Amino acid sequence: MDFESLSGDLHRLMDHALAEIAETADPAALDELQIRYLGKKGDLTAVLRGIGALPPEDRPRVGAVANEIGEAVKAALAERGTELRSVVQAQRLAAEKVDVTLPGRTVPRGTLHPIPETIAAIAEVFGQFGFMVYEGPEIEDDLTNFQMLNIAPDHPARDLWDTLYVDIPGHLLRTHTSPGQIRVMQSTRPPIRALLPGRCFRYEAVDASHGFEFFQVEGLMVDEGTSMADLKGLLDEFAHALFGPRKTRFRPGYYPFTEPSVAFDVECVVCGGVGCPACSKTGWMTILGAGMVHPVVLQYGGIDPERYQGFAFGMGVERISNLRHAVPDLRYYLENDLRFLEQFR
Amino acid sequence: MRVPLSWLREYVDVQLSPEQLAERLTLLGMEVKGLERWGADWRSVVVGELLTVEKHPHADRLHLTTVNVGSGEPLHIVCGANNIAPGQRVPVALPGAVLPGDRRIERTEKMGITSEGMLCSGDELHITSDAEGILILPPATPLGLDLSELYGDVVLDVDVKPNRGDALCLLGLAREVAAATGATIRWPEIKVEETGGPVTAKLRVEIREPELCPRFVGRWVSQAKIGPSPDWVQMRLQAAGMRPVSNVVDAANYVMLELGKPTHTFNGAAVKDGIIIVRRALAGERLETLDHVERELTPDTLIIADPTGPIGIAGIMGGFDSEITDSTTEIAIESAVFDPVSIRRTGHRYALRSEASLRFEKGQESRLARIGADRVAQLTLAWAGGVLCEGRVDSAPTEPAAARLAFRPARVNKLLGADISVDEQRSLLRRVGVETEEGASGMRVQVAAAPKPLVVDSGSEPTVVAVVPTWRRDLAIEADLAEEIARVRGYETTAAHLPDTLMPAYRPTPLRVRELIRQTLAGVGLSEVVTHALVSPLDEARLLWPDDAAAPAVPESVAAPSGDDIVVTNPLSAQHSVLRRHLIASLLDVLSLNERQGRPDVAIFEIGKGYARIDGRPREWTRLAILLTGAAEPAAWNRVARPYDLDDAKGIVELVCRRLGLSEPTYVPDPRGFPFHPGRALVVGQESGSEAVGGRVAELHPDAVAAWDLRAQRVIVAEVAIGGLDVAAPTRMHVEPIPRFPEVERDLAVIVAESRTAAEVHSTIERHGGVLLRRVRLFDLYRGTPLAATEKSLAYRLVLGAKDRTLTEAEVDAAIVAVRKGLEVDLDAHLRT
Repeated sequence: MDFESLSGDLHRLMDHALAEIAETADPAALDELQIRYLGKKGDLTAVLRGIGALPPEDRPRVGAVANEIGEAVKAALAERGTELRSVVQAQRLAAEKVDVTLPGRTVPRGTLHPIPETIAAIAEVFGQFGFMVYEGPEIEDDLTNFQMLNIAPDHPARDLWDTLYVDIPGHLLRTHTSPGQIRVMQSTRPPIRALLPGRCFRYEAVDASHGFEFFQVEGLMVDEGTSMADLKGLLDEFAHALFGPRKTRFRPGYYPFTEPSVAFDVECVVCGGVGCPACSKTGWMTILGAGMVHPVVLQYGGIDPERYQGFAFGMGVERISNLRHAVPDLRYYLENDLRFLEQFR
Repeated sequence: MRVPLSWLREYVDVQLSPEQLAERLTLLGMEVKGLERWGADWRSVVVGELLTVEKHPHADRLHLTTVNVGSGEPLHIVCGANNIAPGQRVPVALPGAVLPGDRRIERTEKMGITSEGMLCSGDELHITSDAEGILILPPATPLGLDLSELYGDVVLDVDVKPNRGDALCLLGLAREVAAATGATIRWPEIKVEETGGPVTAKLRVEIREPELCPRFVGRWVSQAKIGPSPDWVQMRLQAAGMRPVSNVVDAANYVMLELGKPTHTFNGAAVKDGIIIVRRALAGERLETLDHVERELTPDTLIIADPTGPIGIAGIMGGFDSEITDSTTEIAIESAVFDPVSIRRTGHRYALRSEASLRFEKGQESRLARIGADRVAQLTLAWAGGVLCEGRVDSAPTEPAAARLAFRPARVNKLLGADISVDEQRSLLRRVGVETEEGASGMRVQVAAAPKPLVVDSGSEPTVVAVVPTWRRDLAIEADLAEEIARVRGYETTAAHLPDTLMPAYRPTPLRVRELIRQTLAGVGLSEVVTHALVSPLDEARLLWPDDAAAPAVPESVAAPSGDDIVVTNPLSAQHSVLRRHLIASLLDVLSLNERQGRPDVAIFEIGKGYARIDGRPREWTRLAILLTGAAEPAAWNRVARPYDLDDAKGIVELVCRRLGLSEPTYVPDPRGFPFHPGRALVVGQESGSEAVGGRVAELHPDAVAAWDLRAQRVIVAEVAIGGLDVAAPTRMHVEPIPRFPEVERDLAVIVAESRTAAEVHSTIERHGGVLLRRVRLFDLYRGTPLAATEKSLAYRLVLGAKDRTLTEAEVDAAIVAVRKGLEVDLDAHLRT
């Protein structure tokens, strides 16, 4: 045995191993090849057993060749391994392909009713201007619902509020949220900025634009020098927040509990002011009533009208919602047909 | 109020188009609700002249006429009326014409003769009430003229607010037009010729209730001849929405519309001895009113009587027996002022409200009683002839002078947020007839009037005195004048700026907790509903939902006290006549409606109120109600359907508790049965700190489902009270430090008798776990071999730990042994190993 023949054996071994590695298609088979060629009982070791028959001066040379060959086989194994793994992964990924255009798994999601949603939207705008939310009782006494609001028992303006009475003497179902003004004034001192949302009742036959139960939001601001200009400024902000930039106007109105009283009109949300059936060709839509709190009402609230003045406004929640969402029929709100509710996604 | 523009123009010049006028009136506070083109529904009706009128050869009652309509050949028209003669001008409906009520006129054959159109009566055109005769037009009316050009008009529908009774008439609205445009008012010339004897010889008036009838003016016309009023009068009344009756009655109605003064005319012959008594009715007195209803009068009714008994209900409706009839010749005119409150109450009592009572209710100025009596007399003489007696009977001839009202122009500006000079304020007031004078210092200023009057001393502040016209009864305080100034000036000039005054103190919003719950529940697939608070009394009986008082587990702080139903005394319908105590019935109604629309999967919630009477006082509380039925997860291409069950509802309640920072609620079985499934109902309760939850979660009993006629197999419902729903309270969640030492987990499989509840096992573990036990979680429930049929196994994972050290094996073992012993002793349990 000489160096040349041993070196030749080693090179043959390498050629054989590299060929076999290249042909292997299974990562597990590569592990076997590694053991077969490079393991302790592997072919390379077996070849090297012949090293003892060589002259001592040749032995290091053989060692160097053997190392070189061992490294080459290792590298070939690693390279082939990487290659094979990526092929396998690609096959798996190909097999896992789905139709990505199928619809997603529906996450159950309910809807929120437009009345509380509208109240929340109104409260949010006025909240920005420091208006705090209060609530009054729905079963009111006649005193607070009418008399303290400057509506005497036989006042002709009582016709404006057809009332439902209950079997508790002196009590009725509040016809508006305005009695809340009295309750707020009696329970706190100026400066007052209050918002009072809630359910109201009237003796009114049901049709597309009337109902015996409906919701209102009342606003009240009282301080020294609170004026109609403040009222107009705030209502403009409110109208812009809910209906976008639009012209607004005051026109005279009448409520026994405000003096002066106004109606607040917004440029028609349907036609933009040109005139259409929705706005009775006027170009305007009334969204709320307002005015400066009547001195009699301030006094019933325990507030000196010589020192303080204030404004109040009241709006129908359904009306605001109708205008925002183009709801055609008031009955939709309390009927709760899911085909209506589910449109508020 | 309906305002024919042509009539309005009699009192004030209007240069504006009807649309412009409507806009100006609206901006002045007289809201024009509609514009009606009167005569717009007459098409192809023209003025014609009758050339010949002959008998119809085949019918006695018909005439054959030839009519010149200005152009083309004369038309041959058959007519049934008897008041026609050659030379008259009449309205002719040409073939193709359309009359009110969409009545179409065509060429027709009448008894063998072709009629080329129709001659029209006033009734057919809806301009007079005469249906018998053809409407005879004035002789000079141009031939061929379209009738709508002749009589067409624009009628404004004006919404006069309740405080402006003075504007419920043409002159009142003319004043407003004048204020808007600066035009001047033309008053009708009111003067009468008194050719009869003294009125006192015919009429005596006795006022027994001067409080209720502050003024009564009477006049008397003799020898009147009752008949229809002139066509132009009938047309005006029709356009204004009143039915023409007869010349005398029309005169009274005309004056009411013109001046806003309601009056009444009696058949003088039916007023016994010419004595009119204004008094309260006596018990048992009866009166047949003009509408032919026999009414029993109550003693608080103010009536007009003669010595034999009632002849009218004051200010509301006259009596049938004293009505003006065709044969009436003697006419008693009543022009009175009545107490508005009394009129209003009486109107309500008899459910009888007339155009007259509507005006009386709003208050009447004394002056108009005199003017109205004269005007009715004047028109009666003009339209019905006769002789007017000399003088008036007048119970209170002294007329109050105009009130003087001091105001501070600076205060007006402060209220309006404006800067209007004193001179401008004064000139604006002048436009609505309020004259002003320079004020002095130290004047009394009326800041508020009854029922809570406040008068202040103006001190050195500059003042102006307003002289309020007698018809403006609504101007009583300083702020009223501010409103006049603002509205005449035009609200479009109102400045707009954001308040720069102090902000109020912070207050937690009562909407916060509701918002949290709403968002949370919508996020897990429930849809929010809002239902009626007024329900049917049958709902309660159909459902028998128990009150909180029956469930001690409900924390007292949120439990609704048991009380009685609050009932509406004047409901619109029985279906909505009681205030609900519970919300569940309303949700069942919603389910029922949606089932009928083919929607079997319903998951809804409502945050709403319950109401009851407790110790005679009303109480309201807010609840969360939930209804689940059908599929929780509807079948889809990538999953199968899963029906809702009780655990979903409990999970939702638990989620709400977590969201509100409460610990897990406790459950107590509720085996009561109807309306609940006896084995699937529970009372829920939890209280920690200021927050609490309490209520019921259940599957409905099949009989309850049947009572609502539902198709659903299982309906899961919950109604819980939550602290914070009604009263906002700030809540804070407290954070525990993250444990520095490792926690230890141990699993326990507890075998107990079937009758033991999970809640019992859970609370027993917690009770015996000691300070080291941090959490307990059920992770398995097992029944079957090798357990006995009467047993079940509940597997719990216990987490133990300490703040200051790593637990030793011995410590953990000791804690587990304690739990194990507790379970064995308290629940007769044994542990599976």
